[in-house]
Parts: sequence; structure tokens; C-alpha cells
Amino acid sequence: MSELDKLFNRRLSRGQFVKLGAVAAGTTFLAACGGDDSSGAASGSIEDEPGNLSVLEWAGYEYPAYGGKGATGVLQSYVDSYAKPTYTFLTSDDQALGKARAGSKFDLVHPCVSYVQDWVDLGYVQPFDTSLLTNFDKLNPSLVENSQIDGKQYFIPVDWGFSSVMYRADKVEPDGEVSWNLFYDDRYKGKISWWDSPIENFLIWGYTIGQFDAYDWDNWTDPVLEDAKKFLIEKKKLVRNMWSSQTDFDTDVANSNVWIGYAWGGSFKAAKDAKLNVVYADPKEGRLSWNCGFVLGKDTQNYHHAHAYVDQWISAASAGWIIPNYYYGHTNTTVDTSAVDPELVAVFKLDDPTALDEAHIEQYVPDRRRFAKAWDEVKAA
Amino acid sequence: MGTAGLVLPPTLWLAVFFLVPVGISAAYSVGALSFFPGEAALSLDGWRDFLDGSAYLRLFWKSVKIALIVSVASILLAYPVAYYIALCAPKRKYVLLLLIIAPYFVSYFLRILAMKVILGDQGVINSFAYWTGLRAQDDPIPGLLYSQTTVVITLVFVFVPLVALPIFVSLENLDRRLLEAATDLGASRFTAFRRVTLPLSLPGVMAAFVFVFVPTLGEYFTPLLVGGTDGFLFGNSIADLYGASQDWQTGSVLSLFLLFMIAVLMAAFARFISLRSVAAN
Repeated sequence: MSELDKLFNRRLSRGQFVKLGAVAAGTTFLAACGGDDSSGAASGSIEDEPGNLSVLEWAGYEYPAYGGKGATGVLQSYVDSYAKPTYTFLTSDDQALGKARAGSKFDLVHPCVSYVQDWVDLGYVQPFDTSLLTNFDKLNPSLVENSQIDGKQYFIPVDWGFSSVMYRADKVEPDGEVSWNLFYDDRYKGKISWWDSPIENFLIWGYTIGQFDAYDWDNWTDPVLEDAKKFLIEKKKLVRNMWSSQTDFDTDVANSNVWIGYAWGGSFKAAKDAKLNVVYADPKEGRLSWNCGFVLGKDTQNYHHAHAYVDQWISAASAGWIIPNYYYGHTNTTVDTSAVDPELVAVFKLDDPTALDEAHIEQYVPDRRRFAKAWDEVKAA
Repeated sequence: MGTAGLVLPPTLWLAVFFLVPVGISAAYSVGALSFFPGEAALSLDGWRDFLDGSAYLRLFWKSVKIALIVSVASILLAYPVAYYIALCAPKRKYVLLLLIIAPYFVSYFLRILAMKVILGDQGVINSFAYWTGLRAQDDPIPGLLYSQTTVVITLVFVFVPLVALPIFVSLENLDRRLLEAATDLGASRFTAFRRVTLPLSLPGVMAAFVFVFVPTLGEYFTPLLVGGTDGFLFGNSIADLYGASQDWQTGSVLSLFLLFMIAVLMAAFARFISLRSVAAN
């Protein structure tokens, strides 16, 4: 046993423990000072509320960038009736959780479904009262069901989309049927971009190299995860960049820095807008998919405002706006897609309510830190 | 207002925005606080895993190497500029100084993004290489973008103006009579520089080194934007641990370790940069 091991394995004496705990207790107290046990549950009416709705939101999903301004604006009637919400922007679900853990208070947050359990575990959210949402019965029932926890509607699903391989058709020739294996193709060394996300990179390995249902977490034993880690470390040399912001990836594609990459629908739109010859693939192992929506802050003082705001988001008008503008799907099934570009509808299966059934839809990750640690080791190698 | 009145506000500021966060980080690092409620359990496992040859520790030494390269390169590039402005251009020195710091009128983010435009496969340098026939189309100069080299180039570009300032100040305050005396005693210009100018400007050089080395050691943003898979540094690991990993315990361990190492470094440099010499400058 090394000296280091001896140092750390030594049991702490009562005195040492108390000293160590003194700092902890002090800081715990300080952290707790910001806490508030009062819950903003439904009471009174919307007129009794302050109306200063605060939303932790993705850039581009805020009024008026989302839905436009004026009579046809998706969120306009909410703004006209009450007030423009205050937005704080998030760049990832993890960052949003971190902000919440650090003490920031929001009435609404726009996470993705695989993180809802984390929000519940954090004690930050409360269930919605779906009777206050006039458009709730128009939502895709499978997405609604997928987002319930213990039968409670902590999450209102809104936008969804696919994650898949996008490649330049004029530069890349897939070997046979298109596969996620393009990410590991030696022929395109230096022209590949992965998403800097721990879970998805292991999932892709699982579905391709591992040949198993990667969303069945029981399959991820320590030796399997170790194999995946070693493989990704070896293949990392093919990768030009791991993008953490979609804009970075879009810029890299537009500037021909990369030809193959992990992409959402928005990147396909950006590449098409740049007049690039790109393919949004339907890999033989299946696309991954995501579904985001709203969770309601436990301490909200704007309970009714929050419901009114979400109701606008899940309206058919909202669905009709997001599809042609962001190339994302919407959970409102009453949307008319006849006016949307047919190529777009076909590529993203926007007229097919069961489209997500064929993809690997994102799910809660019970041991996220284990994957994250392995992924950090891949990046640090 | 007495001395206490003057000292109290900065002391309070330091306590609230430095000591308390450090204390909270310390509590996280030993498991006294946890990300999710109910997970807290006192343990030194985070420290043990980190110090016992973890990937993070190797990454720290990689960051030290990059920080050293960036610091030395920045000083080597900035010194001649500062020398020229301070000693060779007395009438135009403030105009030149303004030009040197002009990049700081543009945001840090934009300056880094500008490097992507310059160093990209269709960027200024590669386009020139394609145009002159030095490189074939679709065969850009390797490693120009998304590499450790890119991180070094970008950070040097960012830091050179900052580094030039303390060196300029130390050279500007140089007693010129010493240089005249050296010349009178038969020293060549190079000898006068080596024996008089350089030693007397060392406090400025050391200050410049610290100005670059310390922020580069914890640098996160530049590697994220232009580092690619090869440019991942210690600061990026800290950001990941607080972000995607939701592992605030290990993140706090890494943060405190970085803070400790910087404190040690500052103590070492305090021997070279006395407060008196900084005040004199």
C-alpha cells in the first residue's frame, strides 16, 4: 500500500472529523440560507400573481425569436395579455441543472426528457396541472406517457427531433448501407466531428460495435464500458473537433472543416441554407432522438402564468412555426404539415406520429457520472 | 475615514466572493455537500482518486506545459515591442501603446473566433496556400486548426498586448544614466542590454509571466473553441465535472488543487517580484 493510500485509508479520528466537518457545516449553512421551503402550488388566480415569469431557456426559444412578433407571433398573445418573460439561457441540460443547484430560481425550465428524473431528484420541480392546459389533449400520447414519473406530469413534452449522422454527399462515400460507423471511418481522418456528450458517444458505440441495446443500462457492465472507452480513445485521432455548441458544428460544416458529424435537424437546415450537398442519414442501427419540454419550478410564484405560457408553446400554431423554421418536430399532433417543404417532411418524418418509435428515444440515465467519468478519460487521453 | 473603513469593503468583498466559494468548494471536495440532496457523505475518495495517478493529474501537467510555452512565447514576442516603444520611440510611445492594446477594444470571444476564420481549412492562411499551389485543395495545412498548436497560437495572440504592458513599464522607468555609464565604461550595446537593461526589466518580465501563466493554467474557453480533441486542458475537465458529469466533488478537488498550485507559484514568484519594485514601476 502506498503512502498515499495509507493517508486516505486512515480512519478519521473524532477530532479530525469535527474539524473537517466545521468547514462543511459552515458552508452547508450558507448554502441552505438560499433555500425556501415555500411551494408555489396552485392557489388563487392568475391576477393574484406577480406575473414576472422567469424562464431558463435555449437560445432561439425566447420571445420574439421563437414564433415571431405581431399578430401571428406564437407567444404574442401571452406577452400582450401579461408581460414578456425574463429569459436566462442554457447551453446544455447539465448546465441548467448546475444553475438550479447553485441556487438560481426559475418558474419554468426547458430540459429534455432524460433529465426530468434529475430535476425531480433535485427537489426543484412540481407536477403540472394538465387541466389548465387547453392544448394538452392534442399532444402525442406516447411522448406524454414517456415523460410521466409515478403517474405525475412533471414534464410537458414540446419539441422533438432526431440525432443522426450528417455527411457531405459530394465528399463522402459510405461503405454500403449508411451506418453510425462513419464516425469511425479511417478514410475520413480529420474530417469527422463528434458531439461532446458522454452518453451519446457510448450509445453509438453500443449500437454499432457492441451490437446490443445500448439503452438497456444493464448491458453496460464495467468491462463493456472499458472496451468502449478504449475504442473511442483509439478512434479519437480521426476526429477533428468535438462540438459543444451546434453553431460551432454548423460553422465547421459550412467552412468545410468537417464532412461528417453528429447532427440535429437544425444543422441540416444550416447546411441546406449554405447550399451544401448534405445527407441527413437514416443509419441502419437507427437514429437517436430527443424530446424536450417544460418543467415547473416548485417555488414558482407564477403558477398560472407558467401554465398559460406553456399552453402557448404546445399550441398548433407553435407546431406550425417550429417545423419549417427549426426543422424540429412538435408534440402537437394537429399540426398541418401540407405547407412544409416535402423534402423536410420526408427527411424528418414530420407527418408521422409514430416516427419516434423507430428511433432510440432518449431516456433517463441512472448512473450518468460513470459514463461521464469514462468520457472525460477519453477526452483527456 | 480611518484605515478600518478603507480596508473593510475589499475585505468583505474578498470574503464573500472568494473565501466563501472556496469554503463551499472545500465542503464539496470532501463530500460534506453533494449535487443531489441526500448524497452527502464525508469522504476523501475524491482527493485520493485524483492524486493517485488519475487522467486528470496527467492533464494538469499537460496544462502546465502549454502554459509555459504560451508564457515564454508571449514574452519573447512582447519584449522587443515593449523595448522599442519604451526606449526607441519616445515621441510616439503612447500612440504605439494604444495600438498595442487596440485588440482589447474587441471582445475576447470575437478575438478567438477571428482565429478560426484565419486558421480554418478555408481560412486566410490555407486559402493563400491553395492559391499559391503550396497545398492542394482539400489538403489544408495539418494541425493549423483544432490542435494544441492552435491553442498556443491563439493564446499568444491574446496575451502579447497584456504582456507588453508590464515590460514597457519596467523599461520606461529605467534610469537611462546607467546605460550611459555602461557605454562610457566601454560596454557594447548588447553588453549594456545584457548587463543593465535586461536585469532591471526582470520584475516586469516576471510580472508578465505570471499574468500569462496563471490564467493559461486554468484556461477553458480557448481550448473549447479551437483546441479540438488534442487541445483539451485541465480547465476543460473542471468545466465538464461541474457540467456534464454532475460530479461537483471531483470538480471541487480539481479546482482547489489548481488554486493551491497557483498559490505555491505566486509565493515562489514573490521572491522575484517584490511589492517595492512593483510600486516603483
